Order: sequence, then structure tokens, then C-alpha cells
Amino acid sequence: MTHKMTLLVLQLAVILISAKIFGYLVERYLKQPRVLGELAAGMIIGPYALGAIHLPGLEGSLFPLVEGTLPVSPELYGFAVFASIGLLFIAGLETDLPTFLRFSGVGTAVGLGGVVASFSLGTLAAYLFLPSVTSLMDPAALFLGTLSTATSVGITARILSERRKMSSPEGVTILAAAVLDDVVGIIILAVVVGIAKVSGADVGAGQVGVDWARIGIIAAKALGFWLGFTVIGILVAPRITKELKRFHSIEMVAGVALGLALLFAGLSEMAGLAMIIGAYVTGLALSRTDVAHEIQEQMHGISSYIVPTFFCVMGMLVDFSVLPPVLFFGIVFSLLAMAGKLLGAGVPALLTGFNLRGALRIGAGMLPRGEVTLIVAGIGLSAGVIGQDLFGVAIMTLLISTIIAPPMLVVSFRGGTGYKREVKVVAGQDLARQIRIPLPGGQIAAFMRRRILNAFRSEEFFVTRVDFDRHIYRVRKDDIVFTVVQEEEGLAINLSPAHEQFIRLLVLEEIVELTDLLDGLKKIGDPGSLGSDLIEGLFDDADDNPPPGDASDDPPPQ
Amino acid sequence: MNLQKVLGPDVVRPQLSSKTKADVIDEMLGILVATGKVKDEEAARTALLERERKMSTGMQHGIAIPHGKTEAVDALIACVAVSRVGIDFGSLDGQPARIFIMTLSPKNRTGPHIQFLAEVSELLRSKERRETMLQASTSQELLRILIS
Repeated sequence: MTHKMTLLVLQLAVILISAKIFGYLVERYLKQPRVLGELAAGMIIGPYALGAIHLPGLEGSLFPLVEGTLPVSPELYGFAVFASIGLLFIAGLETDLPTFLRFSGVGTAVGLGGVVASFSLGTLAAYLFLPSVTSLMDPAALFLGTLSTATSVGITARILSERRKMSSPEGVTILAAAVLDDVVGIIILAVVVGIAKVSGADVGAGQVGVDWARIGIIAAKALGFWLGFTVIGILVAPRITKELKRFHSIEMVAGVALGLALLFAGLSEMAGLAMIIGAYVTGLALSRTDVAHEIQEQMHGISSYIVPTFFCVMGMLVDFSVLPPVLFFGIVFSLLAMAGKLLGAGVPALLTGFNLRGALRIGAGMLPRGEVTLIVAGIGLSAGVIGQDLFGVAIMTLLISTIIAPPMLVVSFRGGTGYKREVKVVAGQDLARQIRIPLPGGQIAAFMRRRILNAFRSEEFFVTRVDFDRHIYRVRKDDIVFTVVQEEEGLAINLSPAHEQFIRLLVLEEIVELTDLLDGLKKIGDPGSLGSDLIEGLFDDADDNPPPGDASDDPPPQ
Repeated sequence: MNLQKVLGPDVVRPQLSSKTKADVIDEMLGILVATGKVKDEEAARTALLERERKMSTGMQHGIAIPHGKTEAVDALIACVAVSRVGIDFGSLDGQPARIFIMTLSPKNRTGPHIQFLAEVSELLRSKERRETMLQASTSQELLRILIS
């Protein structure tokens, strides 16, 4: 037991350090997302590579190959599971549910098109190219379809922001579509996991063939669970947070919220669904409460440690020796999954006001894959539905799409408008505009960003941070959507002219409110005099100025 | 927001008699007080003057939007008035103001008042509309220009 725990602690130490260093190097020198470095770190230090080397003093290797479906120890995999629950809980918290329910238009068509096309093409590719897959309803095929649906919009958001294209019709559409993408992707996963579990039991019982009635029941059960928990959660969450707020501690609220995410993750697994579904639903239910933002901020403190660990452990699961036979399939599958997004998202865009260039931009923006792809693949691997080879294919899909998408997006945004000029309005958005608020220095920009976002929050706007490496926020209420970007030299607000007056006036009022703050600061007087009070006596001779309670040698003055 | 819900003939005035910024604020506040929706005239005046102290609400193109947040009202109320002569309001472009939109709103919410101002500002973007407002001679005529 002691040896096992010692090994686990050493493993975590090596994982965290190497994931952080590789992530940094890849971002700094290769200009690629950190996640690629974290995955690569896992591949290099894992049980199929350096981790297998025997080390003196360890009675073996640091990452000994474990027999069974997973090559790493259950204890270590447990950390990855915990991380995936945390990640999906955050994803749920960040989901803008009212917008998802109300937003009708291009975003919905693009998101849904991308999910349906990539799922269909992914499943079809498995059916056509994998000898072991004999039916479109084969769980392995369904898993491959599912893992090609999820878009990781963070990478796209960062590029759009750097190019000042967040508020372009394409940018707004991509961000709106990504909301739907997450929700629909999770529902598909719920259904597919249900089907896979029953199929596994059928194979064990010697049954073959597709039992549609049973699949229908599973799908209904999965949807029922999802909908039931979401609706009940949304109704109950404000009461729970209201009670929790009595403790006057946001750490307390966030801690209990994470506990609830773990509880519902367990319950959803017990109900025959994946754990991340329960975690996501908990986040979704809490996303409408007034403490959602504070919980998110607290969670991001944890996530900067658990996310690299998660990606690194996922990289460790890649067995290079089984990849050559599926290399061709992996490339075909990755390309088809990308084609699914490009066509599925691009064609609806083309039909609703964008030209070919715009459709390509939107398709490219929906390409990057992220943690959900890996979580789905991990669930498939640990359940024995997909093998090491197909897990490798999932990693290839993530790597290829994440490497190809950014340059593709950058190139696609060169040139003229992606928007048919004769169409004036698309989903309530027309041509973009930017307001810049110049501010002296990053600290003041951060302060003003917080104030302005809080002002919008108190007007019942939903504020979502779309990129955690930079301060980029999406602010939304009904059909008003805009982004706030904090830069070194101030703030930039990207908006559509239709809502310009409102946003300008609200920001103006917030800036006017600063007058009170400045008056208050002036009352402090000279900060130098405050500082001198603190400095006074700092370097006095200890004998001249004995500390209180240490003057026993001197008689008290009479 | 429907401008008709906030604006009626009793709070729309085509010919202000005041000649100074302070008098314009007093005269318009008097119009709002006459509707019976202001519980404490002095508190409302203080809120309006406090906002002006922080930054003048004189905008561009002869438009000014004096406003304040106060517990003296339960819901957003507004008054629109036009002056025959230009009044020095300390505007952004240095031009005298002739079109005035005053709002008073409860302290806890900024949104409805900003929404109202945004809609009126949108209307006043049109130079032609501003010109017709200045020409209006009756409350009904001015109201019609605003909500048509």
C-alpha cells in the first residue's frame, strides 16, 4: 500500500512537471496550443515509452504497464476521471442556457449541421474502413462518431480575438454554434453510452443483431435522465445556492457545488450513463444562478492543475506499437471528421447569408477538438468498447484538427467579407463595430473590465469567459451579443451597430461612477504619507525599542 | 421597450422657458413632479445634479440627457423637451443644447433607463428628425414625431 501510494505521488509529480514544461515549450516556441504539449508529454513519459524504463530504487519502472483495458494504474486513472468531471462541470457552468434555448437562426443551423455531419461521417468511416465493425450501430462506430462531434471553441476564440474578428458575423456565429454543439454532443454521448452498455451485455449473452426497440428505450432513458435532471436542477439550483450563500463564503459554495457535480456524476453512472453527463448537468443547472461566475473563477484555480494532468494521462494511454495498422484509417477518419465539420457547419452558413469564404471561415472555426473528444475516447477505452488502436485514432483526430485548424482559420480570414452584402441581417447581427477604451496599463484595464462586466451582469447579462489564456468575454442577453477583450493598452468591445447605443451608454455610466472612486482615493491623501507610517521604526535598533512583552529587565516606570 | 409606455403628452414639452442649465433641470423636474410619480422632489433634484457634477450629460448635436438614479421613483419616468434657444449645457462638442431628455429611475436598476435612452438616441441620430422636433409647436406634435 505504502509503495503504491509512493509510486502514485512520484507519478503525479513527474506528470505535473513535464506537462507544464511541455505545454509551455509548445506554446512558446511552436506557437501551438498548450494541450498538444501536455499530450506529447504523456506520450513521452508514459508506459509505452520512457515510463517503461526500470529505475534504480523503484523496484521497476515509474509507469509500469498495467494489465487490462487501461495501461495505467486505476489510482492514476482516477485522477484523470476526477479531472474530466471537473472539466465538464466547468463546461456546464459556462453554457449560456437561455441563449441556447432562445437563439434561433444561423448559430443553431451551423451547430446542429456540424454535429450531425461529423457524427454521421465518423460513424460511416468506422463502418466502411474497420473490418471489426459490421454495423452502423456498432458501439465502436458510434463512439468514433461521438468523439468527432465536440468542438473546442477556446482555440478559435483566441485566434478570432487576436485578428479582431470576434464580432464579425462569422465570429458571432461560431460562438453561438459552439453552445449548441456542447449540449447536443453530450446528449449524443448519453445515448451512445447507454447503447454500448446494453450491447456489451448482449454480446456476453451471445445475442447478435440490432434490437431497435431496446435502443429506443435506452435513448429515451438517456434523454429522460438528461432532461429530467437538467429541468429539476435548474429549478432547485437557485434555492440551493441561496441557502449556501448564508455561509458568506464563496469557497464554501464552490466546494459544495463541486461535491454535487461528483455526486451527480456517480448517480448518472449508476443510471447507466457516463459520469461526465451528471457533471455537465450539474454545471448547467448552476449556470443560471447568480453565483455561477464566482464558482467558475474558483474552479479555474483547480483546473490549471488538473487539466494538464488529464491531457498528460490521456497521452500516456497511446500505444505506439498498435498504431501502424490503423494509421491510414486514423488519417482518413480525421480528415472525414474535419470534412464533417466543414460541410456540416459550412453549408448551413452558405444557405443563410454567408458566401463561400464566410462558410469556410465558420467551418474552420468549428474544427478544433479538445477535452470532450479525449473523455469520450477514454470512456470507450475503459469500457472496452474501443481498443488501444482506436484510442490512438482519437488522439490523432485531436492532434490533426488542432494543428490544422489555426493556420486554416488565419488564412481563411484573409481577403474580403465572408458575408453576402445584399443580406443585411443574419440572426440579428449585422456588420461589426468596435469600441476601444484606452487605459493606462494592464492593472487599470483589468479593474475596468471587472467593473464593466459586473455592470452588465447586474443587468442580467450572461458573461462567459471564452479564452482562459487571455481575457476574452462573451456577453449576452436575448439577441444582444458582444465581446469584451482586455488588452495591454485598454479594453475593446466588439459589437453590432444595432446595440451600440445601449452598450455605449451603459459603459459610459460605469465610467462616470469612477468619479466617486476617485474622490474616495483623493481622501486618502498622499499615499507616500501612508507608506511612511508603515516604514517608521522598521530599522530602529532593537535595544532602543524593545518589542512589547520583552522588557522584563527594565523595571516599569514609577 | 415601447417609448409610448413611458412618454405621454403630459411629459413632452415643445417650448421650454428656461435659459440656463440649472433652470432647465428644475423646469423639467417640475413637469415630472406634476405627474405625481416623484415621491421626493428634493432627492430627485440632488440625484440629477450629482450626475451632472460627475460628467455633463450634454452630448452632441444639441442633445442633452440629464438623468439620475433615485429612490424617489418606483419605476422609470421620462420627460422630453425642446428649447427655442440654445442653452449652454457643457456639451461634449461645445454646442448649446436644444433637445433634452430627462430620466429618473430607481437606484437598483440601470437597464430600463439605459434601454430607454438608447432608443431615444437611436431616434435622434437622424438630423431630419431633430430638425422636425425643433419645429414642433404642440406637445401632441412633438410626441407624434417621437413615437411614429
